Amino acid sequence: MTDEAFLQQALQHLEALHNLAAYLTRNGSEAEDLVQETYVRALRFSHRFQPGTHLRAWLFQILRNTFLTFYRLRERESAISEDGVPEGESPMFQDSPAQDGERSAVHMDLERALVRLPEEFKTPLLLAEVEGLPLEDVARIMDCPIGTVKSRIFRAKERLRGHLKDYGEDPKV
Amino acid sequence: MADEIENRQEDDARLQRLLKEHLPRRLPPPHLRAAIVEAVGQETRPRRWWALWMPPAAAAAAMALVMLLWLAPSLPTTTTGDPLRILAYAVISEHARAILWGESRSDVVPAVLPRAMEESGVALSWVFTGDDTIRLVNAQPTYLDGRRGIELDYRDVDGHTVTYVILPAGAITLPDRGRVRIDRWRPLVRTEGGFSLIIWSQQNLLCVLVSDLVSDADLAKFKEYFVKVRSSTEPYAVY
Repeated sequence: MTDEAFLQQALQHLEALHNLAAYLTRNGSEAEDLVQETYVRALRFSHRFQPGTHLRAWLFQILRNTFLTFYRLRERESAISEDGVPEGESPMFQDSPAQDGERSAVHMDLERALVRLPEEFKTPLLLAEVEGLPLEDVARIMDCPIGTVKSRIFRAKERLRGHLKDYGEDPKV
Repeated sequence: MADEIENRQEDDARLQRLLKEHLPRRLPPPHLRAAIVEAVGQETRPRRWWALWMPPAAAAAAMALVMLLWLAPSLPTTTTGDPLRILAYAVISEHARAILWGESRSDVVPAVLPRAMEESGVALSWVFTGDDTIRLVNAQPTYLDGRRGIELDYRDVDGHTVTYVILPAGAITLPDRGRVRIDRWRPLVRTEGGFSLIIWSQQNLLCVLVSDLVSDADLAKFKEYFVKVRSSTEPYAVY
């Protein structure tokens, strides 16, 4: 497969990669940098990709590894306020399409609750429940056994429920 | 029990639906696709003719450097004496270089730090990046007294540069004489050539903090910096 063809295939997953990057970095421009670096690395190591395997999962794996290598250090620098939203920054939700107030509040609470989760809980939850990846793929991306992934998703949900209660949000919406 | 399991499953399904339907989808901006294509294009663009010579030339240069480093210990040397003192002077020279020509690149430190760790053979599971009195402004691999290590440069609010060098300890052991209790540690505190040094070992690594903070008041400040760096930085050797 040529680089061009590989890139075109990989770009089909741009939206999903950007979504995960945005929730990991909590910053629009850093999310863009992270996604761009992911594609550059994917092309650089495209010879290692085994055709027939799940390209989407492979790209998620590169994105997560890149995030852990380059971006996690910054997490310690950026101050996080009590509610988990980086101080001095607007919530990510702000540039979402305008919606009615009640719906927006649910979105914001959900987003804030998710941001408060540690990366090792947030990533498997987003990959499995939002992106719909099979647990085998999530385990490969997280570089851990499937049992660990299940346990992390379970704990992520527990914490998410707790955070949503903090905001007075009923998870049974 | 069965009811509890059923409730849990229903609750899970509701949460899953909430995530799928209500969690805002972060869509990529329209320009990102073009930026990726351009970045990837730069990476895979055919190289100029002279670029073909670069890898073998770089390999030859690296080989020559390795040979030089291998032969260096057997070359006659005029330096004898306390290995710790020799190392201290090497670190002071590096510190002087950081003061004179060091760059302040605090904005790119998070990006250069992984590369510095990779090239130095010293990794940091945690690193003190600064606070309101002192700030990490540069990170780079270094080579001092035959040892490959990492150098972190800090600058405080008064403009003083503090250089933190981490190297493999090798055969160097720290003497008891000259040790001073600072907080919960007992590092070696020395003054050499008009510079203050705090030296300690950590994880088989030799850590040296050097600065021109020498007066009593400045030394107290320097010790505070030591506590910050020592308590928030965890280096380990990766080779």
